[in-house]
Amino acid sequence: MFATLLFILFAGLAVGCAISMVAQRNPLYSAISLIGVFISLACLYVMLAAPFIAAVQVIVYAGAIMVLVVFVIMLLNVEEEERHPLRLRYLVPTAVVLAALLVAEATFIIYTANANETSPAPLRDLSTSDVGLTEMIGRGLFTQYLLPFEITSILLLMAIVGAMTLARRATLMQPGARVVPGAQVLTKSTVDPKAVGDATPVIAHTTREAEEVLRIHDKG
Amino acid sequence: MMDWNNPLIQVGLKLLAITITFTVVLMIVAYTVLAERRILAFIQGRLGPNRVGYGGMLQPFADLLKFILKEEIVPDKSTKFVYFLAPIIAIVAALMPMIVYPFGPEINLPWLGPIKLVVARFDVALLYVLGITSVGVYGIALAGWSSNNKYSLMGGLRSSAQLISYELSLGLSLIGVILMSGTLDLYSIVEQQSGWYGMKWNIVPQIIGFIVYMISAIAETNRVPFDLPEAETELVAGFHTEYSALKFALFFMAEYVNMFTVSMLATTLFLGGWNGPGVQQFPTLGVFYFLGKVVFFLFLYIWLRGTLPRFRFDQLMNFGWKFLLPVALFNIILTATLVLFDLI
Repeated sequence: MFATLLFILFAGLAVGCAISMVAQRNPLYSAISLIGVFISLACLYVMLAAPFIAAVQVIVYAGAIMVLVVFVIMLLNVEEEERHPLRLRYLVPTAVVLAALLVAEATFIIYTANANETSPAPLRDLSTSDVGLTEMIGRGLFTQYLLPFEITSILLLMAIVGAMTLARRATLMQPGARVVPGAQVLTKSTVDPKAVGDATPVIAHTTREAEEVLRIHDKG
Repeated sequence: MMDWNNPLIQVGLKLLAITITFTVVLMIVAYTVLAERRILAFIQGRLGPNRVGYGGMLQPFADLLKFILKEEIVPDKSTKFVYFLAPIIAIVAALMPMIVYPFGPEINLPWLGPIKLVVARFDVALLYVLGITSVGVYGIALAGWSSNNKYSLMGGLRSSAQLISYELSLGLSLIGVILMSGTLDLYSIVEQQSGWYGMKWNIVPQIIGFIVYMISAIAETNRVPFDLPEAETELVAGFHTEYSALKFALFFMAEYVNMFTVSMLATTLFLGGWNGPGVQQFPTLGVFYFLGKVVFFLFLYIWLRGTLPRFRFDQLMNFGWKFLLPVALFNIILTATLVLFDLI
């Protein structure tokens, strides 16, 4: 009984947050709703006896990816987005058609699944199942699914290296450019003591990078 | 006779246990604040608050009453919903990890039989703690954004950047302990440290992990010397500049509850939890060992605050990414090698 009540609660929360995410005009509210969806889904995973997936869902999606999304939204101007509420109006009919397709598909699957089985499948006792436990997932990842696991790791490593290369570029600062937190803005006069009063700004992580951009070569 | 296995009674008991845990934690937190003020005063050659009650013992309650009765000022141009939501996220995320820590061994109660002194015990307790802690970032980031104040925004951004950066080394520093114990269940991790008359603590083989953990934990809780989000000489009060009365009190409590959480995690993972000499004979002693170790870490926090100056922001980022992270990774490789060859 409790399980049903909790399922209704978290499923309702997930659906409600999902609707709110689509309906909100303010991107930050959408992001908060999406976090709500992820956390409700994590609760559902716990009820399905998959606590590891639930924890990873919260750590990776709610705790890492969405933090970056919120970070970017906070840095950009939200008002500009709100001024064009009708920009995506033409997508509404498409969405209605796609939703109808989805409902039809789900109905079809439920209908055929019920038609094939003479009696409903007995509910397995999830509390004794060990599929969702950390140890089983670890064994699976490092034995049966080793190759996909390693390929994913290499893909992630490539993405990290790519992000580093793109981010670590020292440039002359354009007027109106936004500075990423963590990057340094140096003026020419800090890098080159001779150019007193020249306040050409440079975004760079180290003084040496700024020197390279400004073509100041250390002759000493 | 009541049926103890009735799910309704089970849920009621759990709720009762959670309420008691939260109350006890908030009481300890209140007195940590008082202890901090008195000890800081001692370090700086002052007296500190000693007027309310004997030696200032009632000061936390006076402060709380003041927080409740003060006028609430809400900035006119703030984003109201997010502005009200942020302190709630902060305190909820701070309190939620409290329930998974085992604070004592199995003890025999007079007419209830043996019970384990832990509110909730499950397979992924450690990941649960890390997950909830990572959600706590939103409280600070959203508070900084919704206040519509430049200082708040700067504080919120700094804080989020700092939390994201140090979360990595914090998580990686714990992997050594996980490798050694082979489980994420905090109760089992504590039980495995009960050898050598209760002194077989993980801190001995995991000294690198412990040091990395402590530094990252201080940064995660925004405390001196990593208190850049609220560097008052630069940012007024950082992300909670625009918060007053009880909403400020919630942020304040969240900060101290977070200190308490990381102290409990350090105790559980590295200092053997409730283990100590004599716990096998007198299990009740374990509770006092546990609290004693946690109080030691809280004292360490206060001590550091009275001793160290603040980092600069670029120093903070360089230290986290270029020093702590490689050291934590090295610790993982070292521990994995030693575990593989059965050396620890």
